[in-house]
Formats: sequence, C-alpha cells, structure tokens
Amino acid sequence: MDREGAETYLRLLAEAAMRGSLTPATARPVPNASTIMAAWHALTAVGALDPVTAEEILTDFRLAVTVRQLHREPAGQGVTAAEWLTQGRGVLRPRQAPARSPGEGWPGEDADHGRAGRFVPVGLTVPFRAGTVSGELCLMSFAQTGSGARFIAAWQVHSPSLEVQLSHHYPGLIPIDEFTVTDDRGARYQLDLTPGSDLAWPNMIRLSPAPPETIRWLDVAPPYRQAVRVDLCSGEPAPAGGEARVSVSDTKLSPGEHLLVMLAERLLTGTPEFPRQVVSGGFGVIIAALEAAGVLSPLSPVPARLATLCASLDLTGHGIAAPPTLDLPEPWLSLLAHYQRRKPEPTQMREGYVALAASLPELDGIRVNLLGLQHTQGGSVLHVLVQGRIPEPRPGPLDIDLNFPLSLWLRDSGGRWHAARPDRCHEAGRERAIRLRLVPPLTRPADSVEVLAGGRSAEVRATLPLRWRYLS
Amino acid sequence: MSDAPNGPWFTSLPPCETLVPCGQGRHSVRWEAGELRLASHADPGAELVLAALGGDTARCVEIAEAWQRHTADLTVLGIGPRGPADEIAVSWDDVDAAGQAARGGGAGGPWHGAPRLASPPRAAMARAAVRHTHHQREAGEASRRRLDMLSLLALGTGFQIRLAGQVVAAHADRLDEPDEHGSSIRPALKAALAGRVALVAEQWLGIDPDQVEVSLYRGAGWGSAELTGRGEQRRLRVSLPAWWLARVWASGLALTGRHLVVAVERAGWPDAQVLALRAPGAEPVSLSAHAVTHPSGAAHAPHWEI
Repeated sequence: MDREGAETYLRLLAEAAMRGSLTPATARPVPNASTIMAAWHALTAVGALDPVTAEEILTDFRLAVTVRQLHREPAGQGVTAAEWLTQGRGVLRPRQAPARSPGEGWPGEDADHGRAGRFVPVGLTVPFRAGTVSGELCLMSFAQTGSGARFIAAWQVHSPSLEVQLSHHYPGLIPIDEFTVTDDRGARYQLDLTPGSDLAWPNMIRLSPAPPETIRWLDVAPPYRQAVRVDLCSGEPAPAGGEARVSVSDTKLSPGEHLLVMLAERLLTGTPEFPRQVVSGGFGVIIAALEAAGVLSPLSPVPARLATLCASLDLTGHGIAAPPTLDLPEPWLSLLAHYQRRKPEPTQMREGYVALAASLPELDGIRVNLLGLQHTQGGSVLHVLVQGRIPEPRPGPLDIDLNFPLSLWLRDSGGRWHAARPDRCHEAGRERAIRLRLVPPLTRPADSVEVLAGGRSAEVRATLPLRWRYLS
Repeated sequence: MSDAPNGPWFTSLPPCETLVPCGQGRHSVRWEAGELRLASHADPGAELVLAALGGDTARCVEIAEAWQRHTADLTVLGIGPRGPADEIAVSWDDVDAAGQAARGGGAGGPWHGAPRLASPPRAAMARAAVRHTHHQREAGEASRRRLDMLSLLALGTGFQIRLAGQVVAAHADRLDEPDEHGSSIRPALKAALAGRVALVAEQWLGIDPDQVEVSLYRGAGWGSAELTGRGEQRRLRVSLPAWWLARVWASGLALTGRHLVVAVERAGWPDAQVLALRAPGAEPVSLSAHAVTHPSGAAHAPHWEI
C-alpha cells in the first residue's frame, strides 16, 4: 500500500479543484469538494490515508477557495472574514494510524477474538395481551456473547388504534416491561429494547442482567399468561433437508477491488434513491485514487464491471475509463434482471419468520452469525451479529456502509439473488448487531436459501434449510 | 544547498514593504533578505515581554510573531497564491472582523444547546468537561492559526509569495524528514509544485493545466520536461526540484522571455543568470535576466526580461 501516493493523489486533486475554482467559466468538468470527499472516503476506507490528514487537505482546500471569495460580488457568492475563520474544522488533533482495511489485523488484537458465543435457534411464539393491545412475540433466536444475551425477535401487535393499524407505528405499544423471564435456577431477568435496539428496531431484546452461560432454559412469561419455555440446550431441530452445508473458496480481492465491489452493491441495492450528481465523475476519481494508493491494479477487472453496472442502470458521467465488460457476477446479473423486469413479481409471501442460528466461517477476521430471517410489511430482512475485526465506524464513499464490510447475498430456491444491504446497526464492544434489508424482498417462502458471503480473501457459500413460521 | 552555489534562495528577490495599521498610526513592515523588519518597533522582544505582563501587543509585533510561526508551515503553500495573478485580497478590516469573531467565540460547538439532565451523572459530566476543554483548546488553536494566516495574507501578494518561498526553503533539503506529526512532507510539496508549474506551463505553451504532470526531482542537475501525445492525450511531464519553488517561482523568474526557467545559475538582483528551456525536450540554455518594473506597476512582483 502506497500511503504517500494516496496523500499525494488527494492533494493533487484538491489542487486541481482549487485551479477549477479560479476559472469558473471553464467548460470541462473540474473536481470540487464532493469529488475530494469521494476520494477521501475511499482512501480512508481502505486504510491508505488517515482521516486527520484527509480532513486537513479538505479544510485547506476550503480555506484556499473561500479566502479568494472575500469581497466577491455579487454578495451572495462572497464570504466574510468571520465566515472564513469557521470554514471546515480546526484540524489540530494528533494524527491517527490509518484505518485497517477489512482483514488487516492490528497488533495486540482483542483477547476476546475467537470467542464466538452461544447461538440457539428458537422459533417460538409468545402470545400476549396488555390492556387493549395484544399480539405475539416471535422469538427467532437467542444469542449470548461477551457483550450480553439477547433474543432476536419479531413482534405482531394488534391495537384498536386506527393510527397503529394504518402506519404500523407499534413499537411504542409493546409492553416489554411486563414480560418476565426466569432461568432454570430461578434467577429473574428483565427484557430491554435498549441499548441493544431502539423503538424503530424492536428486534433485539436484551436480557438484563446477562445470565450465566451455563443456563439450560429460560421461561418467557407475558403479562398474566403462562410462560413459554425456551430450551437453550437443544434449540430448534433442523428442518427437513438437514443441516446447513458450507463451503469456502479463496477470492483474493485487493482492498481497492473489495471497496469497488461494495460500491457496486450499494448501487445495485439503492438505485432508486441514489444521488446521481454524486455518481457523476465520482467512480473515476475513486478508481484513480485507489490506483494511486497501490490498492487497485490497473489490470483489475472490477472497474470494467462497475462501468457495465453504471451503463445498465443508466448512470452516466461516472468517469470510469475502463470499457464495459459482459463478465458480471451472477448475483449482479440477477438483480439487474429484476430491475429490468417491467411488471413487479406477484408475491406469495405472508408475514413470517425463520429461526436461524448459523455461524459462517470467518471472512477477513470477521465472523457473521445469521440469527433470523423475517418478512414483514412487504420487506424481507436478515438479522446478523458480526464479531471480530470489524472496522471502526467511518464514512464510506458514496454513502456505502462500512459497518458491514462484507458482501452478502441470498439465493432463493427459485434461483433469484437478493442482496443484503445494511439497514440498521448497533455496536456493542467488538460486535455489531445488524439488520440487513434484502433487495429485492423475497416473493416466495423458500424452503432453503443459499447464502453467499464475500470478503477480500475468501467467499463462503452456505445452504440453509428454512422453516417459516407465520404471524397470526 | 540553500546558500550555495549562488547565495541564499532570496538573492533574486527585491525588498518588499507595506503599511500596517498599528496603534494609532500606520507602520511600515518590510521584508528584506529573508527577514521581516519592523521600522517602528526597535525592540519587538521587549514589547513582547511587556505584553506578557499585561500590556497590549502591537499589531506589527503580532505580525512578526505570526510570520515566524509560519515560516515552515506547509499550509501556507496550500492557501497562498499560485502566481502573481492569483491575488488574494484581504484587508485589515477583514482581519479585525475575524479577530472580533474569534474573540466572541462564535455560536455552536458541542456545549451550546446540549440538553441538560435533571441530575447529570458525575462521571459523564467529567468526561463531557474534558471533551469540552479539549474541544475549546483545539478550536482556540485553530482559530489563532487562521487569524495568523489572515494577517499574513493581508500583508499583500509580495509578502505572501515570499513567505511561500521561505516555507519551501525550510523543507527543500529535508524531503525525507517527517513533519512534526511524523508524516512525509513530500505530498504537500509535490502538490504545491504541481499547482504552480501547471499555471506557468499554461502561459508557456497554452496547455491545459490539467494535462501537466509534475514530479519532485531529486537527482543532480535541474530535472526534465517533455511533451507527449496529442489532443486529450497531450501531456507535459515536468520534473523539478523543490528548490525551484523558492529560487525560481518565488523570485518571479518562472517564465522569463517566453522561456521556462528551470534553475538559477547566478542569483542576484536586478541581474541574474538563469538556465531556461525554450521548448519542452530542448536543451536548457543559459540566459542573462534583468529585472524591470512590472508592466502592471506592481512593486511586489519582480518582472524579468532577457
């Protein structure tokens, strides 16, 4: 990795942008602050540049541009000296080591690394009633790790309130405080939606205090009703079709290629809302920045694939020099075919869930535990708990989510691929609980899915048998 | 290398002077032979001691201090002018306004508008106080640096270019030494060189500045310059040492008599001997350059003819 090349590239880009700002009448496209940000985020994401240096460069660029706007007419285009003083942030913090790119370890790695935890598929429904509110608590799985114990759950809430019926704003109505939980030794626990969750994401329910790791079962009792016993030793029996089948193969993507794959998947899963003006020229700059940093080979096939994707999605002005290629990964082709289908596919899915507790082999030092699949309100989500060498939270280029630095796809039994895109994330220590939204949602209750998880160094394929349970 | 073989880097630069509002009057601040001189303040050091004891610091003295603080600050190259035509007009009223805004502290910051808890936990309060103090110190230092920079820019283009030369001179022989944060200084110097060479090349050949590729030259001799390709593929590849920025560009010699000056053989004012290229790829020739009054009448900008 060429860290000096990365910094030089960003500084030269800022210099070109600065020059462009001096000649605003120019017809050719010139880089601007957004372009610099895209390159900055790409270089910090792959660990080629520390964020403080990147911020210094952007701040100096803004100061240089705006000091030339003092006294500029018309007044709206100028800045005052006081405004100049507050441009950007004051960058005086000590520099940090550049971020690790996924798979890159640090010395003194966390002692907890390698300690996975206890993951149990549950698949039990706990009916409840509290006043005029009734419903079901659907326990998908139980996960106990160093950062605590929690159920991954789905809720079905019925209320006479018209607002709730129309908008599904039910989380505030969940009588979570009125549930009681007792273990096999008589110890009692509270259920808590926070901090492992929030009102808009009532799927992570913590047990407080954390129970011992050796408990055999938990009785979950709704208000004034009989408890439902959750067996933590045997878990839910595997559905017909048997155990999960897993295979691992090498991929050896460079950090730059891996980032471009994540960008491509961001495009594929967010096409309708993607800000096209950000795309304009951004990919070309990102690719050039990654090449300058020595994390992307000029011979890499990934830029050409990205160019094809942009062309297929009608995104022009992407700035990628590589000519498009027909060699696209199968999941990308599947999703492109979905977008190009004129009629929406009729859905045969009812609201329901699948109890899961499958841990995939480590990818780039990251372990993904699949803890539930849910279909509700026309959308499908996969609940995962990620452990290991997860990167520090920092912005990714073009709004990609670096909290989950892996590529994850599901293939249903009809052969269609669904990209899993991070939707919500909660961090606890060296773990992240992440809700991944499937794009497109499932349309049939598949009895098995193939999971494809890709990292820099390898990819994992796992076939999981599914047993759907439906909400009343 | 800074003083040999033909004198210090500023040998081909004339003195430069401006008037600065200071106290009740306007005082002369002069740059000469690589130093800032305050004609109206015989003993700036003594004035600083008095200021430390509670007196006011004269603006001239503040400027001299700011100059000293930034003679090796690479940020100067990023913000300052790319050429004599790139005038950055900062008035002393701007500096006063910015100073008042800085003293007022401005709005915002993490302390303003933070929700108050009925009984905030002590540990959280202590952490917040530490963060607040840290943030204030950072913000205060950043604000001072920017005020410094604004004051130095207010001195005018002549001083801005001379300060850039001074910054380059502080680093040009130490390209492999890291800065105070342990980072390489080469990226900042390369960008400073590239930004300035590109504009000179545009004047020299009419080439699009974005088609100019510049590298830091570190070998013996002056470097290289070659033109390749056509149309959009046209590229001017120039390799020059960091010293070029101080000795040639800051001295106003970069483009002299339609030649790209690549080195100074014998520095001097108003006469110098330079090594210059008539065209990319050509052998450099030795030329005698003579400084004349700038066509625009600007005293700060040396203008040279062959």
